[in-house]
Amino acid sequence: MLSLRPTHTLALCILLRALLAYWISPSSVSSTAGFLSSSSPLTSWLNLQEGIYLFKRGIDPYSGGVFRHSPLYLSLSSLLPISIFSNPLFCAILFTVADAFAAYALIGIWRLRQGLRLTMESSRDSLLVAIYMLNPCIFIPSLARSTSSLDNACLLGAVMWACEACGSGPGGKSENESVVSSKRSRSKSRSLLLLALRTHLSTDTLILLPPTMMLILSQDPGSRLASPRGFVPGTKNKSTLTTPILVLLAEWFLYWTLLTLLSSLVVGFGSGWMGQTWGASFTLPDLTPNPGVWWYFFTEMFDHFRPFFLMVFSVHLLLYVAPVCIKFQHDPLYAFFILTGILSTFKPYPTLSDPGLFMALWGVFPEVYKYLRHPLVTFLTSLHALLLQPLFAHLWLSHGTGNANFYYATTLVGACSGGLALVDACWAGLRIAVGGVEGVDERGEEKEVVTQQ
Amino acid sequence: MNNRWRPLNFLRPAGDPNLARIKRRKALLSLIARRVSILKVALFIAGYVWMLAIPSSQLDRGVFIDENALQPGQVNTYWNWQQVHDADHFLSQLEFLRDSNATSEQRSQFIMNQFVKIGLSASTQDYEFTGVHKGVNGTNAYAMLSSPRVSGAEAMVISASWLSRTNEGDGTLNLRGVATVLAFSKFVKQYSLWARDLIFVISDGYMDGMQAWLSAYHGETQSNLRAQRLDLTSGVIFTAFNIDYPGHSLSHLGIFHEGVNGRLPNQDLINSFQHIARRTGVPVVLYDHKDEPEQLSWLPEAIRNHHEIKTYAAQARNLWRNVGYQASGRGSGVHGLFHKYRIDAFTMFALPATGPHGFYSLGRIIESTLRTTNNLLERLHASFFFYVMTNFDRFLKIGNYLPSAILISVAMMFGGLQVWVDAAWTKRQSEESKGPEPALMIWARRRRPVLQALFIMIGTHFFGAVTFFLLSSRWYNSISIGPLLLFPVTSLLPLVVPSFIPQNRSDSVAPLSLVLKAFNLCLSSTVISIITVLNFSLAACLAVALGIPLSADSLSSNKAVQMVKYSAYLGLGIGWILWGDMTKRMLWNWDVLGVWLLPFLCVVYFPLTLQAALVCII
Repeated sequence: MLSLRPTHTLALCILLRALLAYWISPSSVSSTAGFLSSSSPLTSWLNLQEGIYLFKRGIDPYSGGVFRHSPLYLSLSSLLPISIFSNPLFCAILFTVADAFAAYALIGIWRLRQGLRLTMESSRDSLLVAIYMLNPCIFIPSLARSTSSLDNACLLGAVMWACEACGSGPGGKSENESVVSSKRSRSKSRSLLLLALRTHLSTDTLILLPPTMMLILSQDPGSRLASPRGFVPGTKNKSTLTTPILVLLAEWFLYWTLLTLLSSLVVGFGSGWMGQTWGASFTLPDLTPNPGVWWYFFTEMFDHFRPFFLMVFSVHLLLYVAPVCIKFQHDPLYAFFILTGILSTFKPYPTLSDPGLFMALWGVFPEVYKYLRHPLVTFLTSLHALLLQPLFAHLWLSHGTGNANFYYATTLVGACSGGLALVDACWAGLRIAVGGVEGVDERGEEKEVVTQQ
Repeated sequence: MNNRWRPLNFLRPAGDPNLARIKRRKALLSLIARRVSILKVALFIAGYVWMLAIPSSQLDRGVFIDENALQPGQVNTYWNWQQVHDADHFLSQLEFLRDSNATSEQRSQFIMNQFVKIGLSASTQDYEFTGVHKGVNGTNAYAMLSSPRVSGAEAMVISASWLSRTNEGDGTLNLRGVATVLAFSKFVKQYSLWARDLIFVISDGYMDGMQAWLSAYHGETQSNLRAQRLDLTSGVIFTAFNIDYPGHSLSHLGIFHEGVNGRLPNQDLINSFQHIARRTGVPVVLYDHKDEPEQLSWLPEAIRNHHEIKTYAAQARNLWRNVGYQASGRGSGVHGLFHKYRIDAFTMFALPATGPHGFYSLGRIIESTLRTTNNLLERLHASFFFYVMTNFDRFLKIGNYLPSAILISVAMMFGGLQVWVDAAWTKRQSEESKGPEPALMIWARRRRPVLQALFIMIGTHFFGAVTFFLLSSRWYNSISIGPLLLFPVTSLLPLVVPSFIPQNRSDSVAPLSLVLKAFNLCLSSTVISIITVLNFSLAACLAVALGIPLSADSLSSNKAVQMVKYSAYLGLGIGWILWGDMTKRMLWNWDVLGVWLLPFLCVVYFPLTLQAALVCII
C-alpha cells in the first residue's frame, strides 16, 4: 500500500467505501456496529429527512424538537427532490465524496506542512488516505449517514486552504508576486468561507477558529515544534498584527452573517432555528445516549443544578483555547490538532467522527512519534472503547442484560483514551523542542544518545 | 527556610522536591518493570487456578428469588386427572400419526385441528431453508388464547418441538411434550385469570421450526429462510417454556437454560421453576445429570466420598456441560432461540424413567409456573443475567467467575507491553570510549516497524475472512474432500509471507517478529476481555487456548524448529477444520440459527494463532 500512488490509493479507497456504503444499509450499521456512537441527534440523517419532509409540507421543522440541523440543509432540499435523500446511491456517493475530499484535504495539509505545493506528491500520501478513508471511526458514521462526516470534510478543507494561505507559502520564490498574493487571498477566502459554513453546521467550530486564523496569519505551515519561538506572522509589516486580525475576523464575520441571513431566509425570516440548532450545544435538550460524557451526567442531574453545570461544561471547553494557542503559537496547526482532541473528548454531542478526526490528524505529525510516552497504551485503550461501545449498547438495548451504566462506563473508557492521547500529544509536542532521546549504559546511568531514525 | 517547622517532615527528604519526585517515580516504574515477568506468571497462575476453582462450593452461593411479584408456588393448582386423561387421549392420537408415518403437513394440520376443536384460534406455518442447507423444511402449528382480562399487549409462550432434545435432536420424538401442550391449551381455556395472551407453539424439527416461527413472529428476514407469514400475532413475548418429555414417565425434571450465542435467561425464571417443582414433589436437576459422576472411581474411597470432593466433581460436570453449550453458541435447546429476541426462556426436560411421575405432576408444575409469570408486571429484570449455574440451586455471581479470564487477559497484556518495550532497545558498543579498556555497552533506542506489523495483522484477518467465505460456500460443502483441500491451502499459503518482508537486520530497527508478537498479545488480550461479558465460556476457552501458547512463541534460528512451531500454531488455530462433522455442525448453526461461532473462529481466532505462527518464522 505504501508504494501505491496516492491517486490510486484514493481511487481504491473510494471504490471500496462506495461499495460498502451502497451495500450496507444505515439501519444495519446502527443496529450492529455503530449503534449509539455513529450519529447524534444533531447529525442524524434520519432526523434530517424528517425535517426536510416537514419543511416541504410547509410545517416549521424546528417546532417539533427533533430536527436540529442547520437551515442550510433545508435550502438543499429545495434544489433536490425529496426522494433523493433516501436514495442509497445518492447517499453512498455523497458520503464517499465527502470523505474523499476530507482525505484529499488531509494530504494537502501534510504536503503544505512539508513545504511542498498542494499538487506535489509525497511518500506519505497513500498512508494518510488509508488512515482517513479506512478508519473505522470515520467510515462507520459515514455508513450510518451521520452528517458529522460532512462537518469533518468542511473543517479539513478549511484547514487545508488556511495552510495554503499562510504568509510566505511554497512557490513564493519563483512565481510572480501578484499571482501568488491573489492565489493566497483566494485560499484565505475559501478557508474562511468553509469555517463560517462549519460554524453554522456545528457550533464547536468556534473553539477551532483561533488556531485556524493563527494558521492563516502565520508565516508558513511547516513544523516548528522542534524550535519554539514567538508567533511569527506572515505579513510584510511584522510589527502590527491588529489590522490583519481584524480584517480576517471581519471577512469571517461577513460570510457568517451572509449564511445566517440565508438560513433565516430559508425558514421564512424567523430566528427560532437558532435556539434549536446552535442552542442545542449549550442547553443539551436531547439526552439520547452518545459516546460523549455529557448525556449521562445530565440525565442524573437535578433540574435546578442544570443551568449551572451546563455553564461549567461549556466554559470548560472554552478554557483550553487560549492556553493551547499560546503554548503552541509557534505551530498553530499543532494547536488545532490538540483542540480537535479536546473537542472529541469533551464536546456535548460527539459522534465517532470526532475521535476519528483526531486520530487521522495524528498522521500529519510523524515528527513527534519518537517522543510519545505511551502510544501503545493509548491505542489499546481506544481499541477497548471502540469495541466495548457497540457491545455494551447491544447488551443494554437489544440483549436487555445490561443497562445504561454499562454504556456510560465505556464512554468513560473512551474519554480516558482521549485524555491519554491528549496528554501524550501535549507532552510530545513540547518534548521535541528539548531534543535528544536518552540512552542508558551498562551501569544504568543515563546518557544522551541521539539515534538516527 | 529549611529550619521551618513542617509537619510530616520525615516524608519530605532534603533536596530538590521535583528531582525527588522524578526519582521516586523512576524507582517505582523500574520496580514494576524488573518484576513484570514474575507478575505475568503470577497472573497466569492466579487466572488458571481461579478457573479451576469455579466449580468448588466455596465460590458459589444458593439461589434466591429476587422479584417479589413472582410469588412462586403460592396458588392452588387445578390441573387434575381429567386433564391427564386428555393428555393420554392426545398422546394416543399422536402415536397413531407417528405409526402411520404422517408428513409434517399432516401432523401440523392435525394439531391445528385439535387447537380449533378446543376453541382456540390456530394456524400453521410452512418454512423452508434455502442455500447450503436446502433440505431443511417443515410446518409449525400454533394457537393463541387471547387474554380474557387485558388487551393482548404481552404474551407468554408454551412450546414443544416435534423432536426431543435427546442427543441434540437425534430423532427421538417429543410426543408426550406435544400432548402436554395440547392438553394444557384445553385446560387453560377454562380459566379467566390470564393477564397475558398465551401462545402454544408446536414447532417442527428440532431447532429449525422454532427459528422460522420466531423470525416470522418478529418480522425478521433471514436471507436463506422462506417462512410463511403468521396469520395470528399477539404482543411482546415476555417468557417462554419449552416442554421436552421424550420418555414414558419421568423421574426428575432437568433445567436447560443456555441460549444461542451464549445468552442466558433471567435467573428468577429458573429459580421459580425449581422452587415450584420441588414443592410439587418432583426432584429437579441441572441438565440430565441425575447420577453422581463416575469418573472419580480411580480415587481412594476416603477421598472420593469426601463431601467437598463429591460436590466439586458434580459441579464440574455441570460446568463442563455449560461451557459446551455456551462456548459453542448453539445453546442447549429450542428455548435458546427465544433469547435472541430478549425473551426469557428455558426447557423443562423430563428425564426418561419408568416412574414415578408423569403428566399429572408435570401439568401441575407448568400451571403453577405459568401462574407465577402471569403475576409479572414488567419483564424479568431483577435477579441476575450474568451468572454461572453450578447446580440447579447453586450459582456464581459475575464477580466470582469473571476475574479468572480477565486475569489471564491482563497477563497477556502485560506480556505484550513488555515485548513492545523490549523491542525498542538494543545493546551496542558505545562510540565514546576509545581507550584501551573494553568499550562500554550502552542501551540505545531503535525504531519499531509498526506499520509492517499492522499490515500483517490486517492481512491475516482478511485471510481468515476468505477462509470463512470458502468454508461457508456451497462449493466447499458439496465436495467430501473439502477439509483435506482447505487445510493444506490455509496452512501453507501464509508461508510466503516471510519472502515479502525486507530482511533488514540492522541494529537501528527492531525485528518485526517482536513487534508482531507484542501486537498479537495485546489484541488477543483485548478480544478475551471483551468476550467475557458476552459469552464467558467462550472467553474462558480462548484464555486457555491462547493464554500460554501465544505468550510462548518466539523466533528461533533453526529452520526445523521454526517449522515445528509454525505447524503447532496452525494446528491449534485451524486444525478443527479437519473434523468435518464439527465444521458441518458449526456451519449449520451459523447458516440456520445465526450462531456466530464459525465466523468468529475464522475471522478472529484463527488469525490470532496465525500471527503467532508468523512470529516464529519471520
